[in-house]
Amino acid sequence: MTLAWILRRARRQSVSARRALWGAAGSFLVLGLVSGATVLGLRATRGWMSTVGQSVHVIAFLRDDMQPDQAAQLVDLLRRRPGVARARLVEPAEALTRLRDAARPLPDTGSWLDDLEPGYFPRSIEVALVASLDLSQRATELSRRLRGLAGVADVDAMTDGVARLAAWVRFGQRLGWAVVLAAGIAALSFLVSAVLRGREARRRQAQVLVILGETSGNVRLPASIALAAAGLAGALAALVVLRIAWPALLTAVERALGIAPAPTGFFLSFWESAAGLLAAPVLGWVLGYFSTPVPGWVDA
Amino acid sequence: MIWLEGVSYLRAGSPALGDVTLGVSCGELLVVQGPTGSGKSSLLAVAAGVLAPDSGAVWIADHNIAGLQASSLPYVRRNVGYLPPEPLLIPDETVLENIMLALAVRGQPIDSAEADARETLAMVADSAWENRPARSLSTGQQRLVALARALVGPPPLVVVDEPASGMGGDDRDGIVRALVWARERGCAVLCATSDPSFAQMLVDAGGRQVHLEGGRIAGAPAIGLVPAPVDFPEMDMGTLTGFASPFGPPPATPTPLASLGLAIPPAMVRGEQSSPAPHATSERGPEDADSAEAIRSFDRRSSGEESS
Repeated sequence: MTLAWILRRARRQSVSARRALWGAAGSFLVLGLVSGATVLGLRATRGWMSTVGQSVHVIAFLRDDMQPDQAAQLVDLLRRRPGVARARLVEPAEALTRLRDAARPLPDTGSWLDDLEPGYFPRSIEVALVASLDLSQRATELSRRLRGLAGVADVDAMTDGVARLAAWVRFGQRLGWAVVLAAGIAALSFLVSAVLRGREARRRQAQVLVILGETSGNVRLPASIALAAAGLAGALAALVVLRIAWPALLTAVERALGIAPAPTGFFLSFWESAAGLLAAPVLGWVLGYFSTPVPGWVDA
Repeated sequence: MIWLEGVSYLRAGSPALGDVTLGVSCGELLVVQGPTGSGKSSLLAVAAGVLAPDSGAVWIADHNIAGLQASSLPYVRRNVGYLPPEPLLIPDETVLENIMLALAVRGQPIDSAEADARETLAMVADSAWENRPARSLSTGQQRLVALARALVGPPPLVVVDEPASGMGGDDRDGIVRALVWARERGCAVLCATSDPSFAQMLVDAGGRQVHLEGGRIAGAPAIGLVPAPVDFPEMDMGTLTGFASPFGPPPATPTPLASLGLAIPPAMVRGEQSSPAPHATSERGPEDADSAEAIRSFDRRSSGEESS
């Protein structure tokens, strides 16, 4: 059979078994979505965990009468404490600058912020703890100790925000893996069932073609081509859906969690997309090849 | 063209064919007549390269196909137009596409395959069926389409099993005409039927008849006179060389076997079994005692018939 005949057979097989082929393409779409979302989700949560790791967990506001050298000694003591990742002194001028930076995107805040003076803000110490499951308790304990020190006016443990986020991210990761596994198994089962649905028709065609003298390789080629095309179509559709839906989904999740949005253009790399677009047709080709039974000597 | 030598075949453990020897030459029509269960279908399936014999040899164009590797069989089968006992069609495909498939495996271009398929369908059945899906046809109509697929080309060897089963008078006449048409184009035609009247129609049309009973040839000798070599003036041998590659046309210079419309890659022939066929038209000497005896036996019978 020449290439023109094989392509013709692939086209005609695709038309006669279009329901099974649509099912296969849909399965490839789901598989592509699951795979792509897994890669992107892992990357996003890694970014969130990094944010959590760099965040401040305890802020101690100092009294105005505390001398700068006393504040520096306190920072040094805190740095030596086990479980403390970082401690630094924040001067009133830096606090004001931060406030102005944070408020800049908000409308109608410029005028009254301009009137503020650094002296309005107290000097403070920001403490970041080493991330762990009991981070919240450790932050509370450190806050209690700091409150007892002379020269400390107030302490904010911030346990409602960042520490809780860390726990949610971990939980989300575990839940995500379970969802990925379930969706992957379901999509694969659906794909195999879609491929097997057309098996009986392909067996009949193979029997006819073998009797007519077609080689086993060429008997299998049309089904391989049709399923490879279904794989490519499914992978392309998954890529387009992810490209459109992922940024919106990510923004929604980040907004719900109250964390800084990921940088714009955060998506699969060229090579990751190419690998997906190659893997799906190859899988389709292999499934088409091995799901077409070809007898050697035919049992008449 | 085809020579079956001492062929035996067991179906589910019991003998379906026992030591059958027969030959059909180019331009000859051989009718194998026998009752149901006599082994006709097994014999034809073995001749078409669809079933492997348990013992014996099936020589087609100097090659014992019983000794070929499985990967070589397609190159034999594409030169055999085979109508199995059940008309094996692709139900979702149109009648025309089903017929064209026989030419597709030989690498014939699509346009000319379509024209040839139309011509053969018009000769054997009804042209109006061409766009109907095969599943919409009755069993008898499917049989006629499968016969058209076996004859399209036509291939050098035509093997048809019960072509007139369940057919009426006009259809039977048409089938006889179609088989004679193939024979006149130089094909070796092997036809099996359990119907004595249909067998007689074929004999009247110039066919030779053998009787098969209990898996053995009975009565008249199975080895007939081999006529003078037949040319294939109307056959396009280039399409029958069997080397159609998906990436290009068949080779421009076919192997010597292409003179019979057959080409089997020599590298695919297993062991010593690729030796020349000991059939009557071969000028080469036999390579083993059995083959020599077969040829001596054939010569004796041939000369006996010529003198009588």
